[in-house]
Amino acid sequence: MELKKGARVNLTFGNQATVIKELGRGGQGIVYLVDLDGQRMALKWYITPPDEKFYKNLERNIRQGAPSDAFIWPEYLTQKENGSFGYIMKLRPSDYFEFGNYLLARKNFKSFNAMLAAAMKICNGFMMLHRFGYSYQDLNDGNFFIRPTDGDVLICDNDNVMPQGEKSGIMGKARYMAPEIVAGGIPDKYSDRFSLSVILFMLFFANHPFEGAKVVACPCMTETFEKRFYGSEAIFIYSPSDKSNLPVRGVHQNVIKRWPLFPSTLKKTFIDQFSEEKLWHPNTRMIEQEWERIISKVRDELVVCPHCHEETFVDIEDNKFKCINCGDDIDVTKQLKLNNRSLILTAGTKLYINHDNTPDAEVDFFPSDKNLLVIRNLTQSCWHIDTPSGKVKVVNPNEFLPILNGLKISFGSSIKEAAGTKGEVIA
Amino acid sequence: MGLLDETVSVPRRTMTLFFLIDTSGSMEGNKIGAVNDAVVNVLPMLNDISETNPDAEIKVAALEFSNGVNWLYDEPKLAKDFIWQDVVASGLTSLGAACSELASKLSRSGGFMQSASGSFAPAIILLSDGGPTDDYNSGLAKLKANNWFKSAIKIAIAIGDDADKDVLKEFTGSSEAVITVHNIDALKQIIRVVAVTSSQIGSKSSTAGEITKQEQVVKDIQDATQNIDGAETSDSTSTIDSSQYIDDWG
Ligand SMILES: [Zn+2]
Repeated sequence: MELKKGARVNLTFGNQATVIKELGRGGQGIVYLVDLDGQRMALKWYITPPDEKFYKNLERNIRQGAPSDAFIWPEYLTQKENGSFGYIMKLRPSDYFEFGNYLLARKNFKSFNAMLAAAMKICNGFMMLHRFGYSYQDLNDGNFFIRPTDGDVLICDNDNVMPQGEKSGIMGKARYMAPEIVAGGIPDKYSDRFSLSVILFMLFFANHPFEGAKVVACPCMTETFEKRFYGSEAIFIYSPSDKSNLPVRGVHQNVIKRWPLFPSTLKKTFIDQFSEEKLWHPNTRMIEQEWERIISKVRDELVVCPHCHEETFVDIEDNKFKCINCGDDIDVTKQLKLNNRSLILTAGTKLYINHDNTPDAEVDFFPSDKNLLVIRNLTQSCWHIDTPSGKVKVVNPNEFLPILNGLKISFGSSIKEAAGTKGEVIA
Repeated sequence: MGLLDETVSVPRRTMTLFFLIDTSGSMEGNKIGAVNDAVVNVLPMLNDISETNPDAEIKVAALEFSNGVNWLYDEPKLAKDFIWQDVVASGLTSLGAACSELASKLSRSGGFMQSASGSFAPAIILLSDGGPTDDYNSGLAKLKANNWFKSAIKIAIAIGDDADKDVLKEFTGSSEAVITVHNIDALKQIIRVVAVTSSQIGSKSSTAGEITKQEQVVKDIQDATQNIDGAETSDSTSTIDSSQYIDDWG
């Protein structure tokens, strides 16, 4: 049964929520704006109630709490009444847009930096979900909401999240599912990892990794064909060993344009994750932490071009240092070495030392000298610098150090989850 | 940021939603009025589904049949470009001719299915309040041999008790896909539910797993029908066809 404006629903913990208006409806249910003790929340109400197992699962998910702040998680359950039930969650802020909007080019990322932040946040969401023992059952482009300015992500529709090994009965789109799930298997963390690679590919390249010449040539995409193209006969569009499904000029324009722009690290990872081995051996797929490391590496290669001041990628692995916008050479001689990482230092470039999306440092000019580059401390704590001549300097938050060869930085406790990180300036 | 602003939409397939509307004399009055009203009101909803859907865009085609057959437009149109001209009821029920005509358009060459970036299987909604007055068997046979039709989502709406449900069942392939409505309000609601549900499911990449799009559409429509007074779906247990039963023993 649908709910009317002003209807009151009883929550299991005793309170009542009052329906203000309908916000939208999907296959399973209707989302209403409700008032709960003076607070505006969202109520997802099932048009026809799913079974008892679903209710119990929802109850358990609410008790466990959200795996991370990326999730718009069920917070309160309603009693079973009016022939159905529902749950209360936070409202989605209006500056977040469904991933589908980006695929339709109705929304664009403001920067590659925002795009990488979104990728990082999605990885982290999956990692936390799996750490909690869940798997994502009905993954599709409608689950992710992204803010174009900074790439922050909210993961919605979490009522179908289930402990691994269980099946909610509500399955995701074949396009986003691992081949073994398309063939009828039960989603688990391995199949989620495949879906993660698909989502990330689409985020970066705005085309589907398996939709190339072969798929375009199919006049009618029936369910049988979908099972083949996303399942038994899936071929990555840039498979090095099978060129039959390459992207088509005039059709898959985004990937054709963007693929050459990204660093080799990223491209190699996709080629590997969409190889036959990874397609057909789920437990060999890369774990989320490894994806985070790759995205971090790509972010290390995202710099601001000193000539045109736009963002550009450099390709350390391939020794390619031309700006993707103006074509001029980028000076990569100034670097911050962190263990095995090399962060390129150009003016305006933000430095991310850990895997969260808050920049820890920024390259800037010395206030009165445009020829002297400095690294500004954007963290909340001080850094200690050892100079080559043996002096020790302190750089407080928002202060800076010059980019001079041999300066050793101890980041102390300033970097969350990476205390004690050390770096050295090469110039 | 220039490069990202050059992003274009992902290529989308086309899913065509066909309305096959009985405009025979018996539909005259509030039945045909309700159909006109319901379709006009559902078009903006189809447009919303289409515009926010990265998998496919939705186009609409409508064929009316009475003494003869007539397409409202000579090609499928985006919902937002489909200006509905009210259909008028009079004459006979040439369902067979409608089937032949649909079969001829369910093709790429010279037909309606020429979308450059390919199609999803269409969704076909048949509305009728009577029985065919022409030789529908040969038309239906032609249609049933058509591959687009075979993979299409097919739902029939039987308006009142005079509708020939056996024919509608033959058209859709199962009695579960035939919904009977007994009043004008139910007719309007069911047209909306059927059009929206079949478009939503038909225009999306299919879900992983065993359930087909047709089964999913039928299930969702059955769920919705429970909340609509004067609408019913055939109960699968009550549809054991005695002639088939006898055939099995024959
Ligand atoms: Zn440049």
